[in-house]
Amino acid sequence: MSGHHIIPMKFLLGTAGALFVLTALTVAVHYIHIPAPFNIIVAIGIAVLKASLVAMFFMGLFWDKKINTIALMLSVVFFVLMVGVTMLDTMFRDKPFGIYDKAPAPPATTSAAP
Amino acid sequence: MTNTTKPVAIREFPVEEFPETHYLNATKGLKSWMLTLDHKRIGLMYLASVIFFFFVGGLLALALRLELWEPAQNFMDAETYNRVFTLHGAVMIFLFIIPSIPAALGNIFLPVMLGAKDVAFPRLNLASFYIYLGGAMFTLYSMAHGGIDTGWTFYTPYSTNSGSAVISMTFGVFIMGFSSILTGVNFITTVHKMRAPGQTWGKLPLFVWSLYATGVIQVLATPVLAITLLLLIMERTLGIGIFDPALGGDPVLFQHFFWFYSHPAVYIMIVPGFGIISELISTFSRKVIFGYWAVALSSLAIAFIGFLVWGHHMFTSGQSELSTVVFSFLTFFVGLPTGIKIMNWVATMYRGSIWLATPMLYAIEFLFLFTIGGLTGIMLGALSVDIHLHDTYYVVAHFHYVMMGGTVFAFLGGLHYWWPKFTGKMYNETLAKIASVILFIGFNMTFLPQFVMGSQGMPRRYFGYLEQFQTLHQYSTVGSWILGVGFLLVAYYLIVSLVKGAKAPSNPWGGRSLEWMTSSPMPAHNFEHVPVVIHGPYDHHQPIAEFRMGIDAPHHDTTHA
Amino acid sequence: MSHTDSMSANAHVQHHFVDSEQQFDSAKLGMWLFLVTEVLFFGGLFVAYIVYRAWNPELFTLAATQLDTVMGGINTLVLIGSSLTMALAIRYAQLNDAKKSFWMLGATIAAALVFMVIKYFEYTHKFHLGIFPGEAYTFTGIDHPKAHIFFSIYYMMTGLHGIHVLIGIGLIGWLMVKTKRGAFSAEYYTPVEITGLYWHLVDLIWIFLFPLLYLID
Repeated sequence: MSGHHIIPMKFLLGTAGALFVLTALTVAVHYIHIPAPFNIIVAIGIAVLKASLVAMFFMGLFWDKKINTIALMLSVVFFVLMVGVTMLDTMFRDKPFGIYDKAPAPPATTSAAP
Repeated sequence: MTNTTKPVAIREFPVEEFPETHYLNATKGLKSWMLTLDHKRIGLMYLASVIFFFFVGGLLALALRLELWEPAQNFMDAETYNRVFTLHGAVMIFLFIIPSIPAALGNIFLPVMLGAKDVAFPRLNLASFYIYLGGAMFTLYSMAHGGIDTGWTFYTPYSTNSGSAVISMTFGVFIMGFSSILTGVNFITTVHKMRAPGQTWGKLPLFVWSLYATGVIQVLATPVLAITLLLLIMERTLGIGIFDPALGGDPVLFQHFFWFYSHPAVYIMIVPGFGIISELISTFSRKVIFGYWAVALSSLAIAFIGFLVWGHHMFTSGQSELSTVVFSFLTFFVGLPTGIKIMNWVATMYRGSIWLATPMLYAIEFLFLFTIGGLTGIMLGALSVDIHLHDTYYVVAHFHYVMMGGTVFAFLGGLHYWWPKFTGKMYNETLAKIASVILFIGFNMTFLPQFVMGSQGMPRRYFGYLEQFQTLHQYSTVGSWILGVGFLLVAYYLIVSLVKGAKAPSNPWGGRSLEWMTSSPMPAHNFEHVPVVIHGPYDHHQPIAEFRMGIDAPHHDTTHA
Repeated sequence: MSHTDSMSANAHVQHHFVDSEQQFDSAKLGMWLFLVTEVLFFGGLFVAYIVYRAWNPELFTLAATQLDTVMGGINTLVLIGSSLTMALAIRYAQLNDAKKSFWMLGATIAAALVFMVIKYFEYTHKFHLGIFPGEAYTFTGIDHPKAHIFFSIYYMMTGLHGIHVLIGIGLIGWLMVKTKRGAFSAEYYTPVEITGLYWHLVDLIWIFLFPLLYLID
């Protein structure tokens, strides 16, 4: 596929339309008050969907050379790694599992202590 | 894309020896250098700057070592000492070692090795050089205005409160980050899009592979440094409270941010060095590199794994026990691709006809020093050992073995290897070998005692120390003088070479990659023809004429591979 | 390939490229790599956001009530609209219609300015209440010791995004000048294309900022 693809009008207008609808949807969902973890999941899910539409059709990745998509995905992957690995610390800071405070073997009572 | 290429005729293009006009004198005048878009000239300007800052950082190091001659105050006070070690670290890392191999040697040779006329974005390349200089100006400014005493890591909360020139220093580093990013973007694009006809990924010189992996790290990691330093600057100016515990922030989070860049940055520093060593060992053993794909892909593997191990700098920071365990575990994986490289280099030398010219001498010294640095790194990666050794001279010795024994020796090897190519002059081989041995001895004398001191509990960055360490500290200081003498000798014979060195032939070492298939120094556009690659870059068993192929046409109009 | 290989059509090809195609592909890959750095640049702020939200979920719910969902929502629609006009500007440049391309670029700038004006009203309203970033924070309406950190993150994220919008306005203005001078055609429109990529990324980041900052319940 060539990077020179001229994106058909119906794709551009359709994408914009879908983005408008999804924006309305995400606001509507906000006012419904979905219970705790799911509200974030839905909000982020809609945002990811919108972002994919922008990347594929406005930015033309759908027709473009694969390497450009790979570059974008790489940035997402490394962002997720950064979040995930940082949270291994921040989420578990007050949950020690005692790697430092294993009691040392009790000193033998017969040792020649000075 | 249409692939209806007409069959093209190729023929050998003999190399013009000792050309009258080349890239150094194709155009004249200061302006033709300041505004040049030629990657070779930009690389040379980078090289000069980088060597200058290495000199500055080296003087600072000598001052530090001299101060440590005695356990108590010698000739500078504790505050000055703190500023000098911070500056030594910051100058060596941000101004010397990060741009050293990629932006200087890489800039000169990456396009030539690809058979391209230039990098993909010559103007961005020039911009990156001036951005680098701009950042360096800020660093010098903060040096003049009170200096900075936080250490090169700028840890909060000290860096948010310390009364020194933290803002100008971090802003300088922030600016230099852009320069690094531009270099990375340029190199990746160039490797993807500018390869000569016939040069498949499997025929790329390993130096190019290593620069590619470096570019990937630069592009993925450097922006995080930028945002970290921006947040730090905001913390100092506005008190945004994200990192400052006094304002409800979390200083350990700063360390996560900082090391998400700075650990991969360690590989920005060393991976190009690996690339040089691959070139040297194959050329001077007259053998195909052992395990081409293993060496090439291990660079990418290092780039990837390097992003997952940053927490091993933070074992004692108070991060969660879970993450210390995970980071320690992951850290060992970095040893795998690195070990693969060492094994393959040694296997390449096995039964080769080894020519112990100066560059090869550096390569072999590299193998010794880097292996010591790498193995001590494994010890430091082990959680239980690191708790004992954290922030001691053991760490200092470890990263000097990796960074100086590794990268600087590789840089010197590359400098001597390509010196005839980009200057067109030979240097004094005897003096070069003597200097190399002096550097090797001086280096070990400086840093081996530091392993011992560290394991006995000498903390790093301390101004005063217990008297029991004095003998070892003095050994180390004498070693630093030997190092200084070695570098002066290198500077001496290289300057002599520039002034009255013998003219260099186009291929003094019998290399097989494309940079040896053009004149020394190269023509302004690298090649007078479109080179065609039919053999791998280390196929020493193939006739050399077949490495000098080019498209036989006065005006080329073929599509790129 | 659709374009001719006559000398005039290839006047834009720089000496070190073999042909127009190679130059275009290189420019595009270079821009995508730059966008990768942008993603990770903002990524750092998102990490700070996620870490603090995970630590203080109740703070984020409380503090988000101070943000105006309507204004944020309108701004989202404005930016999406500007992305559409930007994509259309590229399309018209590809179709050799410089006039329409020019007007679409103008519409993009207009939308960007609307975005900045709304942003201005949002900021000044908060300043009026004493909601400043960092130590200058004096608002007492949120009963939480770390309320200032939420707004520090808010100002950093929206502020950096705003700077990107301003840079975009500058770039698109430059494109308008070049378009007016007839610099672009079906053979050569690389600057329009890669500025478009940049502009879409600015939109893309806002798509995440909007629900994360304004729509917390």
